[in-house]
Amino acid sequence: MFNKVLIANRGEIAVRIIRACRELGLIPVAVFSEADRESLHVRYAEEAYYLGPSPSRESYLRGDKIIQIAKTCGAGAIHPGYGFLAERDDFALQVEEAGLIFIGPRPSAITAMGDKAVARATVTAAGVPVVPGTEGEGNLTDEEIIAVAPQIGFPLLIKATAGGGGKGMREVQNIEELPNLISAARREAEAAFGDGNVYLEKLLLDVRHIEFQILADEHGNVIHLGERECSLQRRHQKLLEESPSPFLDEELRQRMGEVACKAAQAVDYLNAGTIEFLVDKDQKFYFLEMNTRLQVEHPVTEMVTGIDIVKEQIRIARGRKLRSSQEDIRLKGWAIECRINAEDPYNSFLPSTGIITQSILPTGPGIRVDTGIYAGFAISPFYDSLISKLICWGETRGEAILRMRRALEEYRILGVKTNIPFHQNIIASHRFMAGQFDTRFVEERFSMNNSEEGKEELAKIAAIMATLVEHRHHQKASQIFRKSERDTSNWKWLGRWERVNR
Amino acid sequence: MKYVASLGGQEVEIEINGEDEIIVDGERYAIDFRSIAGQPVYSLLINGRSYEALVQLSEEGSEVLLQGQLFLISVDDERQRRLRQTSGPQLTERGEFHLKSPMPGLIISVSVREGQEVARGDRMIILESMKMQNELKSPRDGIIRSLRVKSGDNVEHHQVLLTVG
Repeated sequence: MFNKVLIANRGEIAVRIIRACRELGLIPVAVFSEADRESLHVRYAEEAYYLGPSPSRESYLRGDKIIQIAKTCGAGAIHPGYGFLAERDDFALQVEEAGLIFIGPRPSAITAMGDKAVARATVTAAGVPVVPGTEGEGNLTDEEIIAVAPQIGFPLLIKATAGGGGKGMREVQNIEELPNLISAARREAEAAFGDGNVYLEKLLLDVRHIEFQILADEHGNVIHLGERECSLQRRHQKLLEESPSPFLDEELRQRMGEVACKAAQAVDYLNAGTIEFLVDKDQKFYFLEMNTRLQVEHPVTEMVTGIDIVKEQIRIARGRKLRSSQEDIRLKGWAIECRINAEDPYNSFLPSTGIITQSILPTGPGIRVDTGIYAGFAISPFYDSLISKLICWGETRGEAILRMRRALEEYRILGVKTNIPFHQNIIASHRFMAGQFDTRFVEERFSMNNSEEGKEELAKIAAIMATLVEHRHHQKASQIFRKSERDTSNWKWLGRWERVNR
Repeated sequence: MKYVASLGGQEVEIEINGEDEIIVDGERYAIDFRSIAGQPVYSLLINGRSYEALVQLSEEGSEVLLQGQLFLISVDDERQRRLRQTSGPQLTERGEFHLKSPMPGLIISVSVREGQEVARGDRMIILESMKMQNELKSPRDGIIRSLRVKSGDNVEHHQVLLTVG
């Protein structure tokens, strides 16, 4: 059985997996691109090997090199994290063929669920409801997609067949804009996953995005760890997640959980995975897709269940039986995660790159931070903008919210712009506090700087601070000026000196 | 030294008397103001209340990020203020705007040409960086004076992409 694990990823998730390995007494091996030599995952790992130039295509997507490194260094297993190669069935297969263990599902399950169109057909056959769309059609050409679109009806969604994380996804309002959006989606999908295939799905409005965490072992046990509420999204990128969902009651949780397990069993699922649902106002739910990997937002589930999902993944890969049965799973308290991205919330969420000049983490009761950055580290333009995850636990949703509020205020990241102010505004919004939001909330009904509470007083303080800073600048500038007044004679002095020495 | 700080129509008169006292709209406050750890982060104790903010000077004024709120503040001393009042308010509307790349990346498409009129908010360029496609929009009405990039170009941070006149 393996005792050395190669982590085929970077950033916070590589650090997260290294931690699990360390706690299990396994040897973590990092791989890194040119830009990542000084990354935290390289510094924390037991062994680290250079993979290639900074673009992911030449480094973190080079499955062949990664397998070669694993064999050379004697790693018996590969953990893919999320993104990059995590949902590539060809990679999982190559890992197996090289005699190594892929910490994740079997390649056949990735194929079935990874091709989103096939996945929908498979779960439909197992009696799980799906959102209407182009399912089971295989890979469609632009012409075929345009032909089938009116049958589904607008508005609709173009999604990457190999997709995830909102990449390669576009909303379409009418047939005229469809051709351009298809090519944009294909381009983005090609760049992100190395696969430009897309499919269509009806865009449901007034829905929540709620997903279930699944664990499955080799011995036929499949359990779920409850749900995560992921409705707060922007351009289909999740921004804030919580567990449990304020929208679910115990009865609905149980029903959805059972369906989620059934969907996983339909593809003979192994290891950790997530079933995503859309849930409408009337508590009707539809299968959206299955993510056959560890999720970015897995920590909220860990906080409320007390189960370390990454360690569980490794145990499952070592052939162990699940340590909990469904009856053992209890959700205790409430957890919220804010994804901290290097993005400017005041300027259309444009990504921000640069060197982190300061990073002060919030600490204290109930706080967890998963990050791969530190002061002095450079945020490069090569990878996505997630730099940290701030997770808070509370006995109640109210306590978790108040804790998150104070933690966001404590968190200092300088050098790049971050979306921390965005989260502060979300947390302070009445709609969020009341749990009244859906997947369109951020884009349609939320704006920054909306809270009026104490705003005038705060504006005054801001004005005072700006004035004090400018005052100091003037003073410094005038000191320099006075000094240079004395020094302007330098030129004269030089002229005289030259004349003297002629 | 007397200053007037303005933000969104609101004006605050601030007189700075030495290091530890200011007068705000006629009211006297004891202050202790310092920058923290050599960063643009400032700590203000004012009549015993503690505030911390990120303050950055930009072309349009000072950006103050305080308790999750961003304030854009322009600070004038008395002399500047008089100058501005005599020269009229249209001063800031003149001049050319240079669209600079906000980050290194790849130009995916350019949807304007030289000489074209654009309106505030019009999409001009799509820039790909950090695996996301970002729309760069015009900050005001104007005419494209010069276009320096085409699709497929790799651009550096702060590189001028085009000029709106």
